[in-house]
Amino acid sequence: MPKVAQSKVWADWESMDQNPVLQVSGAFKNYGQQPALCGVELSLRRGEWLALLGPNGAGKTTLIRAIAGRVFLDRGEIRMLGTELEQGKGSGRDNLGVVPQEIALYPTLTARENLNVFGSLHGVHGKTLAERIRWALDWVALTERANDRVGGFSGGMKRRLNIAAAVLHRPEVLLLDEPTVGVDPQSRERIWDMLRQLQGEGTSLLLTTHQLDEAQQICDRIVIVDHGKAIAEGTLESLIEQTVGRERMVEIQLEHKLDAHAWQAAVIDPDDATLLRQPMADLAAELPSLLAEIQSAGGSVRDVHIRVPNLQTVFIHLTGRALRE
Amino acid sequence: MIGTILHVSWLTLKRDYVALGLTFLLPVVFFSIFAGIFSGMGGGNGASVMRPLSVLVVRGDDEPFSHRFAQELDGQDMVNVTDFVDLAQTVEDTETPAPAHDPEPETELETAVRLVRVGTFDAAVVLPANLLESIADFGGQAPPAKVVYDPSNPASRMMLEGVMQSTAMNSAPGLMMNRGLDMFVQYGGPLTESQKSAVESGQSFFGGDQGSGAGSTGLIAVESIDARQFGKQEKDPEKKTNIVAYYAAGIGVMFLLFSMTGAGGALLEEEESGTLDRLLTSRLSIGSLLFGKWLFFGFVGIAQLTLMFVWGALVFDLDLFSVKHFAGFAVMTLVSAAAASAFGILLATFAKSRAQLSGMSTILILVMSAMGGSMVPRFVMPAYMDRAAKFTFNGWAIDGFLKVFWRENPDHDLLESLLYLAPEVSVLGAMAIVFLAIAGRFARRWQPA
Repeated sequence: MPKVAQSKVWADWESMDQNPVLQVSGAFKNYGQQPALCGVELSLRRGEWLALLGPNGAGKTTLIRAIAGRVFLDRGEIRMLGTELEQGKGSGRDNLGVVPQEIALYPTLTARENLNVFGSLHGVHGKTLAERIRWALDWVALTERANDRVGGFSGGMKRRLNIAAAVLHRPEVLLLDEPTVGVDPQSRERIWDMLRQLQGEGTSLLLTTHQLDEAQQICDRIVIVDHGKAIAEGTLESLIEQTVGRERMVEIQLEHKLDAHAWQAAVIDPDDATLLRQPMADLAAELPSLLAEIQSAGGSVRDVHIRVPNLQTVFIHLTGRALRE
Repeated sequence: MIGTILHVSWLTLKRDYVALGLTFLLPVVFFSIFAGIFSGMGGGNGASVMRPLSVLVVRGDDEPFSHRFAQELDGQDMVNVTDFVDLAQTVEDTETPAPAHDPEPETELETAVRLVRVGTFDAAVVLPANLLESIADFGGQAPPAKVVYDPSNPASRMMLEGVMQSTAMNSAPGLMMNRGLDMFVQYGGPLTESQKSAVESGQSFFGGDQGSGAGSTGLIAVESIDARQFGKQEKDPEKKTNIVAYYAAGIGVMFLLFSMTGAGGALLEEEESGTLDRLLTSRLSIGSLLFGKWLFFGFVGIAQLTLMFVWGALVFDLDLFSVKHFAGFAVMTLVSAAAASAFGILLATFAKSRAQLSGMSTILILVMSAMGGSMVPRFVMPAYMDRAAKFTFNGWAIDGFLKVFWRENPDHDLLESLLYLAPEVSVLGAMAIVFLAIAGRFARRWQPA
């Protein structure tokens, strides 16, 4: 997303209604002896686009399924528009739309027929349904393919239709579980555009994704979940401030290793003696002097990387580098 | 490389108990069923273990010879005789009530025909009065014995006629010899002295049953009566019972089960694609979903059976389009489709994958079809297999359809003919309810955890 557009999103965020449309309080859930949620707190404000991030097994899907009524919490409550939701029931969630990670469509049905099925099951009928289907097909740019079977669609088309099937009943809150898995960049951008349009019309979006770069660009706020708890929450800037700080990480790759005693300030990578890492608060002042020091010590610089703190840095900082399942 | 493939394949198989069962148990189960049908359990002689024919004997008089003939008949391995005079009234009352509005009492022959037609007996033998006169009456004028048979069991007629001849020989060997000699003298000239001596020796060997029925010319004359056609000339001359009805019922019911379990697999496909989860996040409950599926599969089953029987009527002259037949067919189709649909849902909710469903349904359907009479007619099965059929869906469904097309009582009015199906309708209806109830429990795995 261009810088200008991103600034606008942040600006919109400031003017948002601060009353949550969706609130999860003290959510606990165990599968046997295995804890999945350990007191998650989460709130989604009206018109907000919230990213729910976390490593595999962190509890994201359990949380989404609990909100959707597909999981009973052991403890805790979920409120939507101020009303507590009955757990373990799809019904009573007319203000909620759920976009599953799978392409949960009937491949032998046409796009229009699929929308008809899922619209009807959400209580939309007759002329209203016909009008909503027309809108949805136009929204996902599938009007031309309305009467084609979904089985013959491309991955991106199926993903768009998968989202459309969740919004026919005009939900105020839309849960999206990795809605862009396996689609090409063009289709992904198209999907984000669709969702921005929906957000512009007042829908609140809760998104889980592993596309961290995109999450930091498109979402107003970020919640990072790990071990069944929300371990960080806020805007990207505030998360960076709270975790890794605003310093840039400078990485200098040398042609040959240098005498370690001469380099107290720089951190030599323990796995690679030719790699130096140095956090810098003021690049303009600190970097030239570091390069001069290297040169005077007889070192030769092959490459210089300046790492800007971003969501991935924050994510790795909070959840660790080790792979967990 | 090949070793890795073998290792992975073995691990996959041994961790899937259903697949393991399909691989190793299915052949054993099938072998046992067919061995049971054709050889009996532990018997080496096929003839001795085949279910004996259940035969009603109506004696034309109370003479000692007719008693003896009936006893000889009962002594044959292939036949189980019930004497008409011993026939318990309760059997008639419970299984085959005679039409209440019949203005004239049934003759014994009519009763025998009715009891064979409704399946109480496999066949009946109506012996004439003065039976002794009919023995070895080669071409004479003595009245014949009547064998009443059901064409749905063509073996019964041939078997019984053979057994009758054997019984005639055993009942009166001396008589048979004398009458044969009479024929010899008539056409071949008088016996020599040495021949007469040999005959006297033979007569003394056979004992005191030498009767002197001179002029007779036969073993025992037998007139066969088709229980389905009996009395139809006057009532319904254009209609002819057709064996297609048996196969339509047997095959139709088996394929109904296959279709229903295949359709039930749609649930598992929806589960695997995530569509089921999506459906259940809408206003739809799991109960409504199962009921909707059951209803739809039921409609499909009705359409399938209707197509099969209409095809049978159009191409094979199956008598479907009479009011009583069609009404009975409609009732049986309805309950059979309802129970089969519930069976499909039950298996789909129990199976964890489409592959499991496919394997399980193949086993169960083939076993039930083999036991219930879809593959092998039940009248050739041993008695215990015939009883085992009562534990299968196929057995009850086929019985119901056969009651409509084969074992109908032509004197029943429409209501009586439908009431006649009450046992089958009740059992199949109960199966549908029980299957759905159990499916509901299995489907809990799709409910929120």
